[in-house]
Amino acid sequence: MWFMAPAFAILLVFFFLPTVFNFVYAFTDWSGFKSSINPVGLENFTDLASNGTLFRSLRVTVVYAVLVAIFQNLFGFGLAVLLERDTLVNRVARVFFLIPVLMSALAVGYIFQALLKPTGGLNRLLGIDYAWLGDTTWTIVVVALIHAWKWMGLSMLIYLAGLKTISEDIVEAAHIDGASRWRTFWAVRFPLLAPAITFNVATALLGSMNGFDVAQATTGGGPARTTEILNIFIYRTFGQGLFAQATTMSLVLFLLVALMAFPVIYVLRKREEVL
Amino acid sequence: MKTKWTAAAAAAALTLGLAACSDPSVETSSAAPTAPAAWPDPTAKLDGVKLTIWAAQNSNTVPKQVIAGFQQATGAQVEVVTIPDPYEQGIQTKVATGDKPDLAFWQPTASMLTAINARTNLQPLTDAPWLSQLSPDLKDITGILDGTRYAALITSPAVEGVYYNKEVFAANGITGTPKNFDEMVEVGRKLKAKGVTPFFEMAGDKWATQWWVQVQLADAAKDGLWERINTGKEKFTDPTVVGAIKTYKSLIDEGLFNSDIKTAKFEDQGAALLSGKAAMAVQVNSFFGQLQATADTETLNKKIGFFPISPSGNVGTFIPDQSNALVAFRTGDAGREAAARQLLAYWMGPGYKDFVADRETVSLEPSVPSPAGVPQALLDVHAALPEAVGSMQALAVANPDLYLNLADMINGTMTPEKVAAATQDQFEQLAKAAGASGF
Repeated sequence: MWFMAPAFAILLVFFFLPTVFNFVYAFTDWSGFKSSINPVGLENFTDLASNGTLFRSLRVTVVYAVLVAIFQNLFGFGLAVLLERDTLVNRVARVFFLIPVLMSALAVGYIFQALLKPTGGLNRLLGIDYAWLGDTTWTIVVVALIHAWKWMGLSMLIYLAGLKTISEDIVEAAHIDGASRWRTFWAVRFPLLAPAITFNVATALLGSMNGFDVAQATTGGGPARTTEILNIFIYRTFGQGLFAQATTMSLVLFLLVALMAFPVIYVLRKREEVL
Repeated sequence: MKTKWTAAAAAAALTLGLAACSDPSVETSSAAPTAPAAWPDPTAKLDGVKLTIWAAQNSNTVPKQVIAGFQQATGAQVEVVTIPDPYEQGIQTKVATGDKPDLAFWQPTASMLTAINARTNLQPLTDAPWLSQLSPDLKDITGILDGTRYAALITSPAVEGVYYNKEVFAANGITGTPKNFDEMVEVGRKLKAKGVTPFFEMAGDKWATQWWVQVQLADAAKDGLWERINTGKEKFTDPTVVGAIKTYKSLIDEGLFNSDIKTAKFEDQGAALLSGKAAMAVQVNSFFGQLQATADTETLNKKIGFFPISPSGNVGTFIPDQSNALVAFRTGDAGREAAARQLLAYWMGPGYKDFVADRETVSLEPSVPSPAGVPQALLDVHAALPEAVGSMQALAVANPDLYLNLADMINGTMTPEKVAAATQDQFEQLAKAAGASGF
């Protein structure tokens, strides 16, 4: 067993310790303003709870994550079905849809910011004057669409893999039983995609809860902080020197992700049991 | 047995780790010197000494001339490292993790000196040799925290006031600049009646929204508004500040601002004022810097003027920024600390003449004349300084995000009362973290 000690030591220092500190500092008054770090109990939590900003950011984060999960899976699924057959055109198209996944999220954000600003390319193409990133109601949908656009290629790949692993025999059996193509797809092949859906929904939802780059590059949390997801709020708080408060928020985010992850994954896994 | 040993080893490693990860800036606090440090001769030899200066994207070219002169005179090597924006956040984070330069550009206000924990991290600049050379009005205007000087003011600090287009004023029969805030609003209404956009605001970039509120607080600031707020005797939610926010909102609702106020950016504001699309903008020196990037001094002298404003008259509100001053860090290396002080002494001493000439900026030292190329508007800004009162940034113990809340108000998601309440909440949070008494 001792030959594993170095590996566990590294695990301890680089994974376990930072996580522990994330918990510990949340209960202190660590800040950039003074040198000492004193325990303050639950004060950071009660302060944040009494201040509406945390809940607004949490709400924005959940709305954003749900929107991204929906869009990314709809797009990814649609693309996978569309590009399922292995023709040359389809292969080329798959590569193109995978390129945004490989791009820097900040670059994606800045490109869309330039396209969507009032004097940007999209408005000139459409001949209208609309501030896509300046609407306090709809901008979050636009940012979620951009996030989904960037990651839809990955969802597509996983759905494709799911579709490819469905045995030809089952599809053929359905045909012999007289099922239409439509019925075969929804009643036979779609349920068999359950594991791919579990993975895609969970990663999209939880990944976008930890999102930062796309929103920061497109709106920076604006307009009027309607797209200020929790990580942008944490970034801002940390930048003010309120390190303990920022740590508290990241702990809250961690708990939120955990709280959402377990039920979501549990429900999705339940669907797989029939397989 | 084996599991017991593993558990014990893990516990030991954890304790060690916890000890190793404490705040690295703690240890240096014990080294705080009590006696003022000696000031080396500005041109003494420093062969083999390497100094690092942290600068922001808009200040990294400021020291170029000075460094060249200093390197030649002393043999030291000076490197300027650009810290990306947001500059202050980047520095605070780096310093909190133990990374320090020898010198850095830093906003010399009490709240920002607190934010970088000046008592522990910075060298006191007590008895600096250049102080006697500074214009007496400006010597103690900023850079001091609890009676100790930590920052060296190198250029004329920024002033919040009104930049206006002289040609638009003249074309619409407005002779002479407004004598107080109400007169300025009246001028705005007159211009609006003639189809000119009176004021330009840039809520898309957010940060300048606070100037409109702050200039309205100039008289109150003279009466000790910020001292009262610092001690909790008055709040942002009390009538003085809320009133200023409400006035700002009512002027926007009246249509005295540009129609794209919600999305307009900093660059749009400069372009609008220079082209005469808008008549006035309440702004600070960096705005004029933006204009200088797009037009030459002659054009600017012809087109753009400046006047300070306050409810009772022409009183400016000063707000020194990061490009105006430098701080010297306590690095723990006595030789480099002395060299950093020497560089400052050179900058403000033998090197100052070349520095202001290179930067075409107003001189702070009466013995060094300002170069001829300084635009008139900047000279007017500088002339407003002795009379000016401190801004929130200069006088409050903490610097809340008033501008963010105001931008939210312009976007219609916050009322003036909510802006004040949110700002007060954040102010209390920051003041408490900074250890201000009463919070």
